[in-house]
Amino acid sequence: MLRFILARIAMALPTLLIVTVSVFLLIRMVPGDPAALMLGDNADPASIAMLHAKLGLDKPLPTQFAVWFGNLLTGDLGSSIASGQQVLPLVWSRFLISAQVVVAAVLLACAAAVPAGVFAAWRQNGKLDIGCVSIATLLMSIPTFWLGLLLLLFLGLKLRWLPVVGYVGIAEDPWRGTLYLIMPILTLFLHEMGVILRMARASTLEVMRLDYITHARAKGLTEGAVLWRHAFKNSFGPTWTLIGLVLGNLLGGVAVVETVFTIPGIGRLLVDAIFGRDYPVIQGCMLMVALVYVVVNLLVDLCYPLFDPRVTIE
Amino acid sequence: MFRRVALLALGMLVVTSPTFGQTLRVALNQDIRSSEPGVNRDGNTDVVMTNVVEGLVSYDKGGAVGPLLAASYQISPDGKAYTFKLRKSVRFHNGNPLTAADVVWNFDRYMNPKTSWYCLNDFNGTNGTKVVSYSAPDADTFVLQIDKPDALFLDSMARTDCGGLAIIDKASLKPDGSWDKPIGTGPFIFGVWKHGQSVQFDAYKDYVSPPGKERDGFIGKKAPLVDHVVFMAIPDGATVKAGLESGEIDVAVVPESDVKELRANKNLAVEVGTTPVRNAFILQTRDPVLRDVRVRQALAISLDYKQIVDAVTEGLGRVNNSPVFDTSGFFGDVEKKGFEYNPDKARELLKEAGYKGQQITVHANKRSTVPSFPMTVLAQQMWQAVGLNVNIEVLDWPTQLSKYGTGGYMMQSTSYSPRFDVASGFEQISGDKDKQPRKVWDNPDALTMIDKAMETLDPVVRQPIFDKLHTMLLNDVPIILTHNRVACMAHSAKVEGVEPTSFSYGMWGVTKKD
Amino acid sequence: MRNFVAANAAIGSFIIGVLFIVAGIGAIWTPYDPLGISFRDKLVPPSPGHWLGTDEFGRDVVSRLMAGAATSVWISVTTVVIAVTIGILIGVTSGYSRGWFDRIVMSLNDALLAFPGILLALGLLAVLGANKYGIIVALGIAYAPSVARVVRGTVLSIREREFIAASRVVGNSEAYTMMRHVLPNCLAPLTVLTTSMFGWVLLAESSLSFLGLGVPPPAPTWGNMLASARPYIGQAVWLAVLPGLCISITLLGINLLGDALRDRLDPRMRDRT
Repeated sequence: MLRFILARIAMALPTLLIVTVSVFLLIRMVPGDPAALMLGDNADPASIAMLHAKLGLDKPLPTQFAVWFGNLLTGDLGSSIASGQQVLPLVWSRFLISAQVVVAAVLLACAAAVPAGVFAAWRQNGKLDIGCVSIATLLMSIPTFWLGLLLLLFLGLKLRWLPVVGYVGIAEDPWRGTLYLIMPILTLFLHEMGVILRMARASTLEVMRLDYITHARAKGLTEGAVLWRHAFKNSFGPTWTLIGLVLGNLLGGVAVVETVFTIPGIGRLLVDAIFGRDYPVIQGCMLMVALVYVVVNLLVDLCYPLFDPRVTIE
Repeated sequence: MFRRVALLALGMLVVTSPTFGQTLRVALNQDIRSSEPGVNRDGNTDVVMTNVVEGLVSYDKGGAVGPLLAASYQISPDGKAYTFKLRKSVRFHNGNPLTAADVVWNFDRYMNPKTSWYCLNDFNGTNGTKVVSYSAPDADTFVLQIDKPDALFLDSMARTDCGGLAIIDKASLKPDGSWDKPIGTGPFIFGVWKHGQSVQFDAYKDYVSPPGKERDGFIGKKAPLVDHVVFMAIPDGATVKAGLESGEIDVAVVPESDVKELRANKNLAVEVGTTPVRNAFILQTRDPVLRDVRVRQALAISLDYKQIVDAVTEGLGRVNNSPVFDTSGFFGDVEKKGFEYNPDKARELLKEAGYKGQQITVHANKRSTVPSFPMTVLAQQMWQAVGLNVNIEVLDWPTQLSKYGTGGYMMQSTSYSPRFDVASGFEQISGDKDKQPRKVWDNPDALTMIDKAMETLDPVVRQPIFDKLHTMLLNDVPIILTHNRVACMAHSAKVEGVEPTSFSYGMWGVTKKD
Repeated sequence: MRNFVAANAAIGSFIIGVLFIVAGIGAIWTPYDPLGISFRDKLVPPSPGHWLGTDEFGRDVVSRLMAGAATSVWISVTTVVIAVTIGILIGVTSGYSRGWFDRIVMSLNDALLAFPGILLALGLLAVLGANKYGIIVALGIAYAPSVARVVRGTVLSIREREFIAASRVVGNSEAYTMMRHVLPNCLAPLTVLTTSMFGWVLLAESSLSFLGLGVPPPAPTWGNMLASARPYIGQAVWLAVLPGLCISITLLGINLLGDALRDRLDPRMRDRT
């Protein structure tokens, strides 16, 4: 088990390194200078040079990378050019906010979509199945940014049920904090529910065709028992993998939903940092996103045997 | 006193659930960059921080410099020595009295290159005037020597981008000398700052106002009339509007396009005014096509400015083809006369210049705070109508700015940050392109005249110079200025005292009814 | 169920068919000039003169939606072609050669997969210039890795099969074997993937435009129409609703068609219904 984890981490290291190096180079190839941005339209060469020196941007690229990478190894991701904040705590705090939304949305989506998918598969070709599949396909087809806008327009502006502006941490004010999170979570929930329902249904169908289900039925087990003990448990593996993928992707790509609902998550931090050419923050965010992707996938693989006894980890 | 202590102690909790006193919620399109005035800054940060910190001098409503922490100042006959008398009984937020020794300490700090003060090069002789010495002969007097007479020295001291030379208490720094948070003398105390989200200021109950009957820019009567001000960073315009409508935001700068709709809402009001920000198309005079002044003139006179400005400002703005902003005392009859709209003449000029449909590319950006993109879309159609082959390239702001900095463009649609002093306003766009590629107007005669205007503050001398410069600029067309920014401050009907100007984020004198 | 699948296939094909027809017409003709500004007709609600109203510059929304369809379809198709071409090249060579080459290429591939598209797109757009070609190349590169994965998987699973060995024994060159035997076997999974990818690209283009990183205005795409409609969401609902609706319907069509294709082409699914 431990060896598996270590091997997987070792395998992930080159990926992380490639991401790190390419982000470093790519963002510096993009025109735009953080110093010029700070100084605005009256940036004279002397002031720019002074600021470059202060930020260490006057050194050659390999040196800059070496400095950054050296600090990275000691756990120091530098500080934001724009705000002067330490990047590591900044990225981590923003990541937690995004994670809160994404994890809540995916958990809820699973809770609703997995049983529905299994149920739909059980009643394959029935009216309920067709209904479930149609709704799921429809939900999956609506882009999150549009869904978010519609919710904002309807629940926020027309009905005034939910606040539309700002963000409050759950820890600071549980009630208001929750109110702010409802719409973004609902948006992601609806979208992911479609995706997960279809996957759960498909993998259950796959299992249902197998002989042991027929066998179990022949043994005289109730349909409920067949469904739960045999079909659901065996079909959850692929669905679980998909959930992992969804989680990994969402954590990196919630920028759109965060923009619609002005949630200070990691996606918005990244987009803002790109528009502000805040190199250390961009690098920190990207590293975080890639790391999360790797870790989530690792966790998914580690948990896989729990759902599919046929698979063991060596 | 107990109340203040309690507030400080509860600060963390109070921010979002303002149970103590009134809270004014103000939307900012972006969080403040830092709490360190004049060091890590942008336009919003500068004005927001004027709530917390003050300098010796600052601007009045019309852009003239007046005393703020100083009670008065005197300039020696040779123009090189400045003597400031400090206002008595001014205290920092931590209770320490303001003395001339504090001012000296602040100058030491600003003049130290390690501080990375934004305006260091404007004070250490790199870009002109040099501060030679300064001292505090007594507790209320601060004396400063510069190397040569400089009519604009006080203006430099007041400049908001220099942090207004904010005077802060030593305790603003941590024991190791690094920045902690500003302990100033302003009407509000710097409270809890949640990076990327909001910053809260709390009323400074012991604030001592400068003299004056009413608010006058950054000077005049100042008082904190609400208990807390929270500046919330909300980048999305639609969300800001929604927040105003739902009452979650009390004050916000809104785009002109929202004014009509917001005014229709009886819970809201909108104040409109202009600022010295100038919107413009800039032209690269070294470009092979645009080098010909006739092509540039054709570009200028083929635009129906009234229609463009009406469209992008929803009829709230005024055409102004001059670098002199339209609320300045120098904005006279000559400055009012701009480009004549004459498409036929434009076609003739193009024919004379032998223009054969070469493509002209205009860089624009879609930042919501500037009219860059809509202005360009409207102008493109008018240019095409006279046979100019104009193509729009939308860039993100950092990219456009970097091309501006190197002069690597044919045309750009951009906006110039405010200069209250008119000569500085001209200087901002003019200079030697070989030395500073970002300068758009490279005309030696003009540069000499601008230098002359900078030697004095006497309007009798300056007005004719500005008139001449304006006329020269209209002929040279290195830049096509269109209008001054319209500032629209939307606010809840419960809120009173909001100013729709460059000073709009100064929240002293603003009240909120329950 | 057979009826349901058939109905889905029919609806999906119909939607996509209509999309391509509208895009085709939009590329040559629109009722009004999609870029034509009219000051007097700003934000006109849907009416007989302008069926779906006008936008903040007084431009006709029907015309812009049609022109937008043309641009979006053109971008999506071209991007998919690029992604598939690159993906096949990488996947086949990598899966066929195996060993260290395969390992290196696939770890690069995985790194690209873990790369958020926003940054890749912005970086490439900045280098290539902010236009639709930039976005095509950027998204093409971003989506090629998933094609490469699928192709490589298929190649790995069939390269040990008898007919491949036979082809080699007969003396056919490796390249010929690949073209003749390996590629056709990738066709079924690729068709399914390509269909979905068409949707992803459309969605990615809209999302990027929504964040301000996509096809630059004034040229209309559904994504940037939606993005510029945001400030007017309160006063001109149609501006925000219509482009979003177009994107959603198109994605629905693609998903339905994709399901139908999967049923038809994926051998594991074939006898399910």
